[in-house]
Amino acid sequence: MELVILENAKKFYINGEISIPALRGINLSIESKRFISFVGPSGSGKTTLLNLVGCLDKPTEGKVFVAGTEINRMDRKTSAKFRGDNIGFIFQNFNLIPILTVYENVEYPLIMVQNIPAEKRKQRILDLLEKVGMTDQKDKYPAQLSGGQKQRVAVARALVTEPKLVLADEPTANLDHDTAYKVIGLMHNMKKEFNTTFIFATHDPKIVGEAEVIYTMEDGLITKIQENKKTGEVC
Amino acid sequence: MKNIIKIAWRNLLRYTRRSLLTSSMIAVGVALVIIFSGIGSSFKNEIIGVITNSNVGDIQIHKKGYVGSIDNLPLDITIPANGVKKIELLLNNNTEIKSYSERIRFGSMVSNFVQTTNMRLTAVYPKKESQTCPALVKRIKEGDSNSDTFVKPGSVVIPQNIAKGMNLKVGNDIVLIATNKDGSVNGMTFKISGISENIMGPQGKDGYIHIEDAKSMLRIEDGEITEIAIKLNNFNKLSKTYTILKNELMQIQGEKTGKPIFEIHTWEELVPFSTIAKIITLLIMVVRIVLFFIVLISILNVMMMSVYERIGEIGTIASIGTLPSKILALFLTEGISLGFFSAILGNIIGIIILMIINTAKFNFRFGDARTEFILSPQIPTTEVFLSIIFVVVISILASLQPAFKASRMEPVEALRHV
Repeated sequence: MELVILENAKKFYINGEISIPALRGINLSIESKRFISFVGPSGSGKTTLLNLVGCLDKPTEGKVFVAGTEINRMDRKTSAKFRGDNIGFIFQNFNLIPILTVYENVEYPLIMVQNIPAEKRKQRILDLLEKVGMTDQKDKYPAQLSGGQKQRVAVARALVTEPKLVLADEPTANLDHDTAYKVIGLMHNMKKEFNTTFIFATHDPKIVGEAEVIYTMEDGLITKIQENKKTGEVC
Repeated sequence: MKNIIKIAWRNLLRYTRRSLLTSSMIAVGVALVIIFSGIGSSFKNEIIGVITNSNVGDIQIHKKGYVGSIDNLPLDITIPANGVKKIELLLNNNTEIKSYSERIRFGSMVSNFVQTTNMRLTAVYPKKESQTCPALVKRIKEGDSNSDTFVKPGSVVIPQNIAKGMNLKVGNDIVLIATNKDGSVNGMTFKISGISENIMGPQGKDGYIHIEDAKSMLRIEDGEITEIAIKLNNFNKLSKTYTILKNELMQIQGEKTGKPIFEIHTWEELVPFSTIAKIITLLIMVVRIVLFFIVLISILNVMMMSVYERIGEIGTIASIGTLPSKILALFLTEGISLGFFSAILGNIIGIIILMIINTAKFNFRFGDARTEFILSPQIPTTEVFLSIIFVVVISILASLQPAFKASRMEPVEALRHV
């Protein structure tokens, strides 16, 4: 089943009178329960593509479908709700909320986005924190955690709403080699456990090596698609 | 909502110094309003009490046209005896009236056989006058200050300044000379039975004689008087009682003219201090306006900085699906919490300071008046609640723009912000 479909998706950024093309007509479809990587140099359009798929931005031309819904026509409120219900995000800078503890950061989408009752929240959060190995740190604040620990919490936060799709933009860029491997392994395990589709934009060969399909981008176009049979080595 | 409040509160505590500074500014502003309101109202009520209880009364009734010429104390604009009876009937039937006092007021010459000066005289029935102006006898510092007998026929209470200027003492004889409405000049000898202290206002230096003496002196034979002073059971019902009495008095009309023959005024219309009372009210309003700007600018500043510093965070919460309305609520709650708790703090500080002032019993006096005013500010309960509502409303107004800006932010733009 196809989770993400892009039909001739184009994106231009207007800077004064100059129109800068970021995506120049992308056609692709991504099946669910996959581990996908977009690679390419800076400015190739990876992040723009992720923003379109994540309903954070709209294409200038073309269509984007996520989980069967065309996102082009959504207003702000609908697209926020859609993201909350269907998409998890992992950021390069972790983007944890500094005033909330580990537990509360993971709890945040359940309270503020999905309105899950307290009794149902607790077990789900504790299970997830155990899976990402952060149970012992649940009462700490982000400032008290290492980069790897922060990203583990970010993974838990992205998965706690049980999304169909998790988008990760350079998730290992700020992590050291060993930690990056552990985080990739964790995401791989989570993908298996929750049957969630992971889509990465990355330069990191470690992630690239783990992806089932690797899309190479250059100048706003997909120039190469590679199937990778040797995945899961880091798990 | 509980979680929004929790997050808003933590965000405020995140920038502890800034939040404390803003909160202190608002709290000081609120405390100033409470203190100023408490002291201002106390001062105003104290002075109003002195004026109404010493000589003016709460309400006065005159023949139409009298107040327009009140500075001349005219004797040809009087309430006739049948008019007095009609008015008494109205007053006796009104349960809000505690007492009333008939008066004849006129100007006279005073002579101690060596020197001569002029003085305004109020001729009264002592018992009725004491009930209507209970503080009057307290002003009599020398001589008879009995509320039923402070002026007896043949005696006079003179004001302190005249006693001092003419070197008069209790028991001395003086001659009072006055012109009646027909133009004849009459004089009578009186014994000084008391010396009263001066108080604020045009009626603060009046002398008092018995009303029967005034009738003899002015050759008034048909029972006419110049005014009726009225004391109410409840001063707070002044406006309502005044309106009722006014409507009733307007029904009493001249047979020939068919127009009302009496006029009625509250103390405010008769005493210049009412202007000062209005200025005090105006000053309290000015302090409120200052508070308005303190709260508005403080909260607006804090919230704008808060939004600017947290653009990335707003991008994060928006991207993970937080609805714009919830982001709006989050920032609004932050501003409201800051305003609300600052207002509570300001009220506590204000109330404590008012209690200290009350305990300290600060007193003061004006000019040469002997009456001491003790500063006993009441806690202005209405002002306390109003200040909280006021601050919260301004906090909402001040937070609205930053909160709206945060809620309208495009997540993709916000996430890009460094």
